[in-house]
Amino acid sequence: MKILIIEDERGLSESIADYFAEAGNICEQAADYMSAMAKIKLYSYDCVLLDITLPDGNGLNLLKHLKQSNDPAGVLIISAKNSLDDKLQGLDIGADDYLVKPFHLSELKARVMAIVRRKTFGGSNILNFNEINIDLLAKEVKVNNVTVKFTRKEFALLIYFLANKGKVVSKNAIAEHLWGDGIDIADNFDFIYSHIKNVRKKLEEAGCKDYIKAAYGMGYKLTDQ
Amino acid sequence: MKLLTRYNRINLATTLVVLFITGIIYYGAISFILNHQVDKDIRIEQQEILNYIKQYNKLPPAIDYKDQHVTFYDIAAPLKRHYTDTDFYNKKENEYESARALIISASAGGTYHKIVIVESKVETEDLIRIIFIITIGVILFLLLVLFITNRFILNRIWQPFYNMLNQLKLFSLSDNKEIRGADSAIDEFIELNKAVEAMSVRVKKDYKDLKAFTENASHELLTPIAVINSKLDSLIQAGEYNETQSKLLADVYGAVTRLTRLNQSLLLLVKIENRLVTDEQEVDFKLLLEEKLSQFKELFHEKELVLHVDLHDKKLNISRYLADILLNNLLSNAIRHNYVKGEIQIQLDAEKLIIKNTGLENPLVEDEILKRFNKSPNSEGIGLGLTITRQICDNYKYGFGYRFSTPYHIFTIVFNN
Repeated sequence: MKILIIEDERGLSESIADYFAEAGNICEQAADYMSAMAKIKLYSYDCVLLDITLPDGNGLNLLKHLKQSNDPAGVLIISAKNSLDDKLQGLDIGADDYLVKPFHLSELKARVMAIVRRKTFGGSNILNFNEINIDLLAKEVKVNNVTVKFTRKEFALLIYFLANKGKVVSKNAIAEHLWGDGIDIADNFDFIYSHIKNVRKKLEEAGCKDYIKAAYGMGYKLTDQ
Repeated sequence: MKLLTRYNRINLATTLVVLFITGIIYYGAISFILNHQVDKDIRIEQQEILNYIKQYNKLPPAIDYKDQHVTFYDIAAPLKRHYTDTDFYNKKENEYESARALIISASAGGTYHKIVIVESKVETEDLIRIIFIITIGVILFLLLVLFITNRFILNRIWQPFYNMLNQLKLFSLSDNKEIRGADSAIDEFIELNKAVEAMSVRVKKDYKDLKAFTENASHELLTPIAVINSKLDSLIQAGEYNETQSKLLADVYGAVTRLTRLNQSLLLLVKIENRLVTDEQEVDFKLLLEEKLSQFKELFHEKELVLHVDLHDKKLNISRYLADILLNNLLSNAIRHNYVKGEIQIQLDAEKLIIKNTGLENPLVEDEILKRFNKSPNSEGIGLGLTITRQICDNYKYGFGYRFSTPYHIFTIVFNN
């Protein structure tokens, strides 16, 4: 997977690059409009992460350029402006998704994975992880070809973990992903624990290995290592 | 009391007192002059009588004119000459009239005589009566003129003042209407208009600056918060942490999350206040509420809350985004400030939405809870939830109220139908 990160804030850009860096992923960074334009003209990417407020230009013009040149890259706008107009304008021009700063890297990863899956694998809706087999369209989970019943949130949680496999996902990120960031219930994450317990139990009962591990009280990690 | 009424009363009282005093002085002066005139006539008569006595050493015949009598009485000793007020019998009119008399004494033919010269004052009194009527007439006329002046002219003169007052009443910091005083030729009003116009412009500018500052500060904060957030996400990937370290990291996470929320809420508040959220559409409020309840399901379960829901169809013309936030805030509050195994009642009908929840045993102070950053001591929230809720209600002219009825805290939104 080849990703271009267009973001003028070095610290953020590097964190994203680190997070996405794993076998088979190539992350490139562009910190301004000119170098970003040069890169999208020269190379092709699976996904472009686009900050629309750049020091020397409007990121929306980069998006327009991508769309005009029929670039197949998926585009995810990351913006500090939580403005509805910006969002609608971005999505109108052809962005695939819109994420407002500040965000969790796990959320970003999940969104990017969703975009790339839609774009690159010919819109394939099947997600595989060892003995787990997920039909995204039918929202169906099979373990060793046996269907396991999940609630909507449990399903979303599993997908979220799979998008961030091998990564520690913080409880805060999970809470925001499942309940939205509008919900101001920061003080208690116990309900996440019971949710994850349910997912693990259901998988285990279906004969699946326990892949989800608690990580030092801060979050959880799905890994097969 | 209106200024005009007050002014009128003072004016009226003063006018009456002045006219009354003037009347008395006038009356006194005219009586004095007329009495003087009568006395002069009497003195001429006296002179004639005395001349007659001197010449003939006997009394003249008694005189009985239309308005003058002279009568003589014999007396033993001479009298002191003096004037007096008396009555005069008018034979023609057959009535008594007030009169002036001079009493003198003179010796004629060896005996003393008291001579009484009486002159009627009836004409004088007629004159005074006319003057009195004229004075009353003037007073009434003056009152009438004052009344008309006040009613029609003063009202018009005060018009710029009332105009300005109305505008001040309607003054709102957040709208774009400027205060414009009505034209006036009166210095005080011109000055008032200028001062108020300048003040409103200055206040609005200050308010705008402050809002812009909040907005800019919040915007500028977003990027560093995003960096902290992403660095934390990276940090927890980095390796094994012992208990102390993970506790520290978890605390930092929590703090950053709250900082993020706070920042987002401030930005949202500015946006709502500036009415920048304008995507009004018909929203099926009942459906939205049901969606929210299902979204919050786990949170209800977690606290083992008993939920009573009574929803009727309600369509609202509202921004979906704000409707979402409105319900998020109200439901989050009802859950957060509840106790385990508590209760939440939700009623929705065409007029209103009522959310009741159990919680603290004491009522909250309505004014306090709507203040920014006001929150209960054990709350981990940021204290802007109800402020945002009320601002949204204000924008759509919904009534928003709180009351306590043991054991429920009751929040009500009355829709603007």
